[in-house]
Amino acid sequence: MDVATLTFVILKWLVVFGLAMYCLFAVVIIRQEQLMANVLEETFEPVLRLAAIIHLVASIAIFFAAILLL
Amino acid sequence: MRSQRPLEPAESKSPHTRSSIPPDKTRTIMSPLTAFAVSPEGVHFETQESDEEVVLFLRQHLIVLVPSVLLVVLLIVAPILILPSFFDSLILPLEIPAGYFVIGTAFWYIMTFGVALTSFLRWFFNIYIVTQRRIIDIDFLHLLYKEFSEARIDKVQDLSFRSGGIFAAFFDYGDVIVQTAGDMPNIDFTGVPKPARVVETISELITKET
Repeated sequence: MDVATLTFVILKWLVVFGLAMYCLFAVVIIRQEQLMANVLEETFEPVLRLAAIIHLVASIAIFFAAILLL
Repeated sequence: MRSQRPLEPAESKSPHTRSSIPPDKTRTIMSPLTAFAVSPEGVHFETQESDEEVVLFLRQHLIVLVPSVLLVVLLIVAPILILPSFFDSLILPLEIPAGYFVIGTAFWYIMTFGVALTSFLRWFFNIYIVTQRRIIDIDFLHLLYKEFSEARIDKVQDLSFRSGGIFAAFFDYGDVIVQTAGDMPNIDFTGVPKPARVVETISELITKET
């Protein structure tokens, strides 16, 4: 394995690790939204929950895309 | 500018004066960006008692969201305007595969969405509620950290508001300070719209209570 290939293998798994951390952050946002929604019941709250779920799904999608594409 | 309103019976409104507390049938329909609502419809909070009604519902004025909006706009345009010239100026010993640009750009926009979402959530759930019995301040300071403070209306000793600066004067927002008796903590409503009307409404509730 030459230096360039080794560099990109290391870089790929660093990127994947960073994206995994971001997925955890997206899970925390969902949990935060749930906690907040327990405190305040509001008509717009389901839209925020949907936005938080979309954010998590997108984060997971980019995580798997990085494993496949890089 | 700072206005003090000592709570004296003489201040109570005459029957001919317009009241800040609306009649029962006047209720504010809530929208996602509502920052000031009198008797809002469809709002309930965690410790609300069955016979307790929300008289005032407040968030910080929308103007406090402007820095976050500007940041998000900057993050949206950065990959189009700034990053291409940045990468052009870089001299790297290796050629970066196209996959890194695809993943990098996609992640950038997901992160931008995350920044916008967390900023909005923090604003949306930082609320101040006045009921006929209590004044409540709910703060979400950081991720997973919330602070719930309340003061009973009959324990309020002094009410004041302060509003300073061009923006505060133009957009009519400021801080309302509720001082309570004894060891109970004071409650500060920071950057709320129509602070004078908030003080007026709480004063009327205190007059009703006493």
